[in-house]
Amino acid sequence: MTDIELVAYKCIKCGKIHYPFHDRCLNCNCREFEEIKPEGKAKLLTTTQIFNLPCGFNQRFLIIGIAEFENGVKAMGQIKGNSVDDLALGMLMKPSWEPVRTQNGENIYGLKFEPIQETS
Amino acid sequence: MRDVAIVGAGMIPFGRREEDGLMDLLASASLNALDDAGLGDKTVDAVYVANMGGGILQHQTAVASALVDRLSLLPAAAETIENGPASGASAIKNGLLAVASGYYDTVLVVGGEKMRDVTGWRATDFVATLTHPLAEYIYGVTLPGMAGMFTRLYMEKCGVTREQLAQVAIKNQKMGALNPYAHVEMVITREGILDSPHAVVNNPPVAEPLHLYDACPVSDGAAAVVLRPLEMVKNGRKPAVVIAGFGQATDTHTLQEREDPTDLKAVTLATQQAYERAKVKPGDIDVAELHDAFTILEIAESEHAGFFKKGEGGKAVAAGKTQLGGQIPINVSGGLKARGHPVGATGVAQVVEIVWQLQQKVGQARQVKDAKTGLTVNFGGFGNNVLAFVLRRVDQ
Repeated sequence: MTDIELVAYKCIKCGKIHYPFHDRCLNCNCREFEEIKPEGKAKLLTTTQIFNLPCGFNQRFLIIGIAEFENGVKAMGQIKGNSVDDLALGMLMKPSWEPVRTQNGENIYGLKFEPIQETS
Repeated sequence: MRDVAIVGAGMIPFGRREEDGLMDLLASASLNALDDAGLGDKTVDAVYVANMGGGILQHQTAVASALVDRLSLLPAAAETIENGPASGASAIKNGLLAVASGYYDTVLVVGGEKMRDVTGWRATDFVATLTHPLAEYIYGVTLPGMAGMFTRLYMEKCGVTREQLAQVAIKNQKMGALNPYAHVEMVITREGILDSPHAVVNNPPVAEPLHLYDACPVSDGAAAVVLRPLEMVKNGRKPAVVIAGFGQATDTHTLQEREDPTDLKAVTLATQQAYERAKVKPGDIDVAELHDAFTILEIAESEHAGFFKKGEGGKAVAAGKTQLGGQIPINVSGGLKARGHPVGATGVAQVVEIVWQLQQKVGQARQVKDAKTGLTVNFGGFGNNVLAFVLRRVDQ
């Protein structure tokens, strides 16, 4: 398992968390940020299952979602699974850092999420 | 600042135009608008060309320079305007400001796109290049995918249903079948796309919860307008139409950074600016062309443009309030859903439709009775760059 290499940016003045990078804080225009990593599990904010894929993906579908980590970082990622019908907004997911596509024969790494099955 | 009139409007039928290249589309629409303007040998001072994909899809750049040469408009100033799917309205905005300021007297604005040259997956990839390269594009997200995620949230937060989305598609394809410029001229039914056993085959998912008939087609097409100061427009053979108000606003590049992703702030701000400049309220609008690249967007934009409260747009469609003869007829052209969405052309085509509506030129079957004031909303990116115009008929 590879460490999650995503870097988010916390404004040193107002504390607003940004991902992706901005040159100035979207809240207070400050130009200085502390680099932070996403922490903990991620909560699913929204999702879709895409069937008409762009070139570069040789598969039937992709499940994509936006999730919020425990420290407030929000990011898009691919979701492991067979159907978006199995996903409920608000459910918790385990993040990982894996190849998400290939470009010019090389793997491009990014976020993947795996739904956490609740046990009773 | 001078009042600016649209003195000529032209369009070519949208669809799959195998026989035409990008420059053919742009030139044909331009000539239609110039002919409609009846300018004779008057000089065109400047040409603004809206085009998003010439460099990617046709391997052709600087199309404005090529167009003025082809149309013998030399030495007119010429620029290509690229602002994603809002390129068309951006080009009109540039023409508007140039004429309003007094810098130019006669401006041609044309928007066009040739998208059917490439396979569907290349066209999908081309449009997806407007997403954030690292935070979105690498994951394979597409514009239907962005719309799918937006729809899922909108359904959960605002109560929009698949039935209401289908009613937008049915309404707009019904109107498209009456529009000779529309790409899709096929009437669809609720049974065919939603209720019958065949609906699963007829209307497969493209980006859940959106299905095939929730999305606009990929089209070739072009549209054009000619702008002049109102003070130079003589009483003519047709009512003058002025750009009474304009607004534009931006929002975060990525959907995830919006505090509430169902809040289309740029639509609200752009339409508010346009209303204020035109000194009108949403209730004064007689006809609207909204950017329904996906059915959910017509509903969401109808709320953010002030026609309905948040959460009421879907119910309004179901109640017939947005159809011809309703409270606020929306997309009586068929919208992007049926007319098609050649991305560079769309913002101009919306304005052309409203001009023709205000001039009572669309034919009885689609005409909004006694329309005097119209609105367009051109939605760039996924709501991160939105332009709105209020057009008004001036009876001279």
